[in-house]
Amino acid sequence: MTKKIIDFVAIGAGPAALSAAIYTTREDIETVLYEKGVIGGLAAVTDVIDNYPGFADGISGLELADNLRKHAERFGTEIRLGEVSSIIPEDGLLKLVTTDGDIYAKSVLLATGCDYKKLGIKGEVEYLSRGVHYCATCDGAFYRDKKLVVIGGGNSAAQESLFLTRFASSIDILVRGDKLKASEILIEELKKNPKIKIHFNVTPNEIVGENNKVTKVAATNTVTNEPVDYITDGVFIFIGLNPNTGFLKNSPVALNEVGQIITDDDLKTNIDGIFAAGDVRQAATMQIASAVGEGAKAALEIREYLNSLARK
Amino acid sequence: MVKNITIFTTNTCAYCKMVKQFLTNKGFSYDEVNLDNEPEKQKEAFELSGQLTVPITLITKSDDSKQVVVGYNLAQLVPAIS
Repeated sequence: MTKKIIDFVAIGAGPAALSAAIYTTREDIETVLYEKGVIGGLAAVTDVIDNYPGFADGISGLELADNLRKHAERFGTEIRLGEVSSIIPEDGLLKLVTTDGDIYAKSVLLATGCDYKKLGIKGEVEYLSRGVHYCATCDGAFYRDKKLVVIGGGNSAAQESLFLTRFASSIDILVRGDKLKASEILIEELKKNPKIKIHFNVTPNEIVGENNKVTKVAATNTVTNEPVDYITDGVFIFIGLNPNTGFLKNSPVALNEVGQIITDDDLKTNIDGIFAAGDVRQAATMQIASAVGEGAKAALEIREYLNSLARK
Repeated sequence: MVKNITIFTTNTCAYCKMVKQFLTNKGFSYDEVNLDNEPEKQKEAFELSGQLTVPITLITKSDDSKQVVVGYNLAQLVPAIS
């Protein structure tokens, strides 16, 4: 039986992969994207994206993701809702083990992005989705007129806290260090919002509950070394990102010590035909605009790679 | 056999959109309860799932047995509709 070989497969359908797909399909390169989560990736679950060029008034993450998807599909991109569990170089091709069965590709783009880090404290797993959350745009609506704690001090924590003020009566933001790492414009918005109070030098120790409900975050003030409790109905955690590379654990693709994919300046990994772009890549800026740019560059490199195969 | 499907959603939930797209791709129709428009139904969603999250998908089979899938979880959605 002749096996079906696809010219180009992207794993992930976030901004990097969708951008690459716009370019490859316009070159008439057969393009398939595999997405096990949300089309648009973390961008799609972000309330407002205010720093993506071309949208002077900002754009909702969901709308930007939808626009990117439509744009890629307009030129013939196929998006399959499923998971790739491993990649195996085989006879000059790349075998992908997927939820649809094994498929073969001439070239692959790894663009699986990142997911939110977990705190790893007591109560976090026990109260998952019952008071502990990682997606404000999904779960915020359950906290109308309730008190919330947001843990984190970066852009995600700031942006999502502002979104949660639509619902919550008050929000305590707990920051481990002595300053916010969010952009200045977000910090100014946080300061102006009467529902938000920011607490610095706070290390959360436990998410405490009673009768199946979260009641407080038990923490330590690291300046005074005193215990401090934050009474709350729910906790949203935004403390950074982990690369989605677990599926590459048994593959020959080289990762760095924190699990990001190592590439050269042309976005090539150590394996012929496998490229990487976006937040999953070592040295990523974790910005949508950068991911889109890397997707375009990867597509041009992939075109060259496919041309080189054709010349052999 | 699936008799009917109800999805609890919110306007801003990207995972809700994925569940709807997945079911549409598979040829299923569904009823949608938008908790932004009908916040009084949050209690119903919580009682079904035990969780304060969306999407919640309630699948009723032809024998009237029910299955609840929390989140955009293909590992549970695929067998639930097959």
